[in-house]
Amino acid sequence: MDFNFGPVIESWRFLADGVRITVLLSLSVAACSLTFGTLVALARRYGPKWLQAILIFYIDSMRAIPVLVVLVWFYFAFPIATGINLPPFLSALVALSFNLTAYVAEIVRAGMESVRPGQVRAGLALGMSTPQIVRKIVLPQAFVRMMPALGNVLTLTVKDTAIAAVIAVPELMRRADAIAGQTYTPVEVFSTVMLLYFCIIFPITRGVDIVYKRISFLGRS
Amino acid sequence: MTIATAPQTAATVLQYRDVQKLYGDFVALQGVSMEVKKQQVVCLIGPSGSGKSTLLRCTNALETIDGGEILFDGVRLPKDRTAIRKVRQRMGMVFQNFELFPHKTAIENVIMGPSTVLGLSDEASRDRAEALLKKVGLADKAKNYPANLSGGQQQRVAIARALAMEPEVMLFDEPTSALDPETIGEVLNVMKALADDGMTMIVVTHEMTFARRVADHVVVFERGEIIEQGPPKQIFEAPTTARTRDFLGHLGWDG
Repeated sequence: MDFNFGPVIESWRFLADGVRITVLLSLSVAACSLTFGTLVALARRYGPKWLQAILIFYIDSMRAIPVLVVLVWFYFAFPIATGINLPPFLSALVALSFNLTAYVAEIVRAGMESVRPGQVRAGLALGMSTPQIVRKIVLPQAFVRMMPALGNVLTLTVKDTAIAAVIAVPELMRRADAIAGQTYTPVEVFSTVMLLYFCIIFPITRGVDIVYKRISFLGRS
Repeated sequence: MTIATAPQTAATVLQYRDVQKLYGDFVALQGVSMEVKKQQVVCLIGPSGSGKSTLLRCTNALETIDGGEILFDGVRLPKDRTAIRKVRQRMGMVFQNFELFPHKTAIENVIMGPSTVLGLSDEASRDRAEALLKKVGLADKAKNYPANLSGGQQQRVAIARALAMEPEVMLFDEPTSALDPETIGEVLNVMKALADDGMTMIVVTHEMTFARRVADHVVVFERGEIIEQGPPKQIFEAPTTARTRDFLGHLGWDG
């Protein structure tokens, strides 16, 4: 069989812009998930009982519902239910963050629990308040310890953004699909896309590994 | 002889009256009564699990007591969280496992208390920390992370960290038990120097030589109770109870 990479090469700008949107969406989702995931974890540990119950239900349901379903719901059902219309990119950002926040919250919780109780006692013995201890002692160490798990979530995030293609976010997968359909070169186009995703994610995995090896002692109490 | 041997008339800093502590059905402390006077060094000795460390943790309210009372400077330990923080700021604590903050350098560890809790300026807390690291002989290790310090060095930083709050009492919870034998001496020397400076200290320890040479008062625990207390000479040379003799005998202590 003959390969024809002509269409891929001709539309490289189109694909490159898709990569840009994929990376932009991934970073936005990662930033939101990390922020809200940390808040959820803190609320689950220190918040009032009723809030804890709600958050546990939220985390359990996000782990039980496919992220594609959440995405489709936010794009197609949410506007009708609430009257709020979100553009595709924003819908994807909200839906993916809503889903991944639950996973990040669990990681942050486990990270905080893994910090030795003696560290908290040391802070208490100095006369520090609980918020001070959380901010200055527990969270910094927990984040170092969480790095491998958070790196893993970041790679999951990049991969999950591909499903935003179904709601017409013009990211890498959506554009690849368009080119493949127009030029009848699915083998060439989708192989290229696989390679591009790999090129985005592989450095993240390796990078997190390398950085973690260097700084893990900061979390070792 | 230490210059810090407290006169009998010295003010009482800590007073324990019939203190009781329970963990479920387990009686951790039972009818513990003792007192610590200003500038006194009190050593708590006894077998593992006899309640010494528990009493220390109750002293700065890391644990609550279930009966009796503990008076600090004549005032009963408060229950209120803000008030208890004020009390803790006046007591320094040193832990068996050092509990230095691994994400902070040695000097940042010492700065933590003054800057976070006392609200001292960066410069003032840094000056204080530098002086204290010098005092414990680690001025040259200020920028090392705990991971790059030996156990003995870590424990000396931990002592400096506690001293940075300028406490009225220092609580030592088996400060040398997690150390390699060759680094125990450097920590005990720092503690001895503190005692000579007149610091009021409660030391839970298995270092009988230290207790004998530095303590003004030795308290022997067994199964949550005080079985004997008195000056080191009495405890180590003429114990009045058979159980004290037993305990010291098990350590291979021949007086």
